[in-house]
Amino acid sequence: MNDDHDLDLAVRLLAGTPTHEGRDPALLGQWARTASEFGRRMTVRHQTVRVVERDGGLEAGLFARYRSRPPVVEVYADTVARAERLVAERGWRHWFPEGSVRAAALAHEQAHAWLHHAPVRAEFKRALGHTALRLGRRRLYAYVAGADEIAAHAYAQTACGLGRSPLLLTEALAAAVSFESEN
Amino acid sequence: MGVVILLVMAVGVAAMLTRKLPTAFALVLLAVVIAFLAGAPLTGKESVLDTVLQEGASALAATMIAILLGSWLGKLLEETGIAGTLVRKIVEFGGDRPVFVALGVLAVSALVGTVTGSAPAAMLAGLIGIPAMIAVGIPKVTAAGTVLMGIAVGVPFELPVWQFFSTALDLPIGTVRGFMVKLFPFALVAAVAYVLVESRRRGVEHTWPLKAARTRPSRADRRRRLGDAPWYALLTPAVPLVLALGLDVAIIPSLLGGVLYALVTTTRPREMNRRLLRTLYGGFEVAAPPIALFVAIGILLAAVKLPGAVDALQPLVKAVSPQNTVLFILVFTLLVPLCLFRGPLNVFGLGAGIAGVLVATGIYPAVAVLGMTASYNQVFGVSDPTSTQTVWSAQYAGVSPHQVMVRTLPYVWAVAFGGLCVTAFTEL
Ligand SMILES: [Zn+2]
Repeated sequence: MNDDHDLDLAVRLLAGTPTHEGRDPALLGQWARTASEFGRRMTVRHQTVRVVERDGGLEAGLFARYRSRPPVVEVYADTVARAERLVAERGWRHWFPEGSVRAAALAHEQAHAWLHHAPVRAEFKRALGHTALRLGRRRLYAYVAGADEIAAHAYAQTACGLGRSPLLLTEALAAAVSFESEN
Repeated sequence: MGVVILLVMAVGVAAMLTRKLPTAFALVLLAVVIAFLAGAPLTGKESVLDTVLQEGASALAATMIAILLGSWLGKLLEETGIAGTLVRKIVEFGGDRPVFVALGVLAVSALVGTVTGSAPAAMLAGLIGIPAMIAVGIPKVTAAGTVLMGIAVGVPFELPVWQFFSTALDLPIGTVRGFMVKLFPFALVAAVAYVLVESRRRGVEHTWPLKAARTRPSRADRRRRLGDAPWYALLTPAVPLVLALGLDVAIIPSLLGGVLYALVTTTRPREMNRRLLRTLYGGFEVAAPPIALFVAIGILLAAVKLPGAVDALQPLVKAVSPQNTVLFILVFTLLVPLCLFRGPLNVFGLGAGIAGVLVATGIYPAVAVLGMTASYNQVFGVSDPTSTQTVWSAQYAGVSPHQVMVRTLPYVWAVAFGGLCVTAFTEL
């Protein structure tokens, strides 16, 4: 039940990613399942990345940001704090233990960094199985935009031992914040 | 009297800068005031009403039709999914190498830039191109800049612009084309350098955004849902170019050729009439701002070409215009920022009037003025934070137009420098 809802959130994320306009929902569902599975199984070798805490995330609409040059992960403290409060309000503590939002943000960005390694990328594309070009028996696998986002969330969920996908938090917080700004 | 005319122009620039007046209205007002100051009679030969307003308004008619046809073709590229399919293919083939995606979107932007230029091209390439680049990890400012730099690669081959320079400076199309072909390599090298250098410097960027992207079904979405355009339809943006550049066909028939090609490669015969009319009328909407501007520019050009204005301005302009090759390059390269922020050298504003003055007074050969204005156009089209395409691209990517200006200006300034060098060494 909860897993179904998490998957549904992932499908909606894919559907809203450019280049997937008009794609068959069944195909999107298959990609979302595969990407989540891939993310859960990923063994991320953590890079030594500088982590900085920042403010203004609610305004910019960000939990966290990873930049490769120089490698740095920015965690937006205000968004994380607001998300922790939301978890308490909704009674979701059993899914998202105290402090797990920040941990999930870090894990999410670590996963993005990991997904930039060429062998990982190639394996991910093969797992998704979307064909860009077929020449006889050889085929070139296509990149699926948005799939790494789903894998990153799935990795964070597993690595931090969360009961639900961080996508649930994303959606609930986005709704709460837009409700507050409208009233 | 020349000084007074220049002062009036300065007031006009101030009105445009402070947005007291839309550019098109300001230019028409300027033209009327200049015509009166130049001692033109109200009616008759070389007059305010008959020459400046009546003849000036339709002087750039061929440019207006070219703009309209370009917008029509742009609408077709959008509705038939040609532009969207191009971007999707690029992401599928190269999505895990962000630089590849950026270079691909750059190429698509260049192609659609040759068709419509400016704001319509930015939307055509950027609507899917910008979020697609951001989705694969390109930083936002780089993504917005890539679309703009790409359009600028296409601009030397933008057929309506050829028509504009040809009519406004009274040069044959062949001459305009000759210079544009020389300007193009500078624009291309600068744009590719922009993507490569900025990607190296900024790397990739990934976020956990607060708002998960959600489908908001729009009309455009439902149309795109109709599926991919066939591969041979993807050649559409190149059709007018091949006709005009390769086969020497005139500009309006070349653009019509593109419209026909897009139609027959994507549309079933039963639906052709409706699609043609719908996209044509949509094209009018897109073309309205530039056409209004070209009416005004035609009027301004007619005013500065009045004998009274030429006589008054010639000694003044001659005194400040550098004749020496090196000085020409130096002075006009330093003046590049004056084409930003609706400044006096903005080619689609007062700059057109100044170009008219330079040609009418015979201070520079028309070809040299072409080189100068075309070089400035490369800067204006990318970096001007008040121009529609820059504002749209920046805001759509979620950054400010000023950030885009700062990041792109060094590259397009170099293009202008290159264009001015070519001009000075070959035409002066
Ligand atoms: Zn992410």
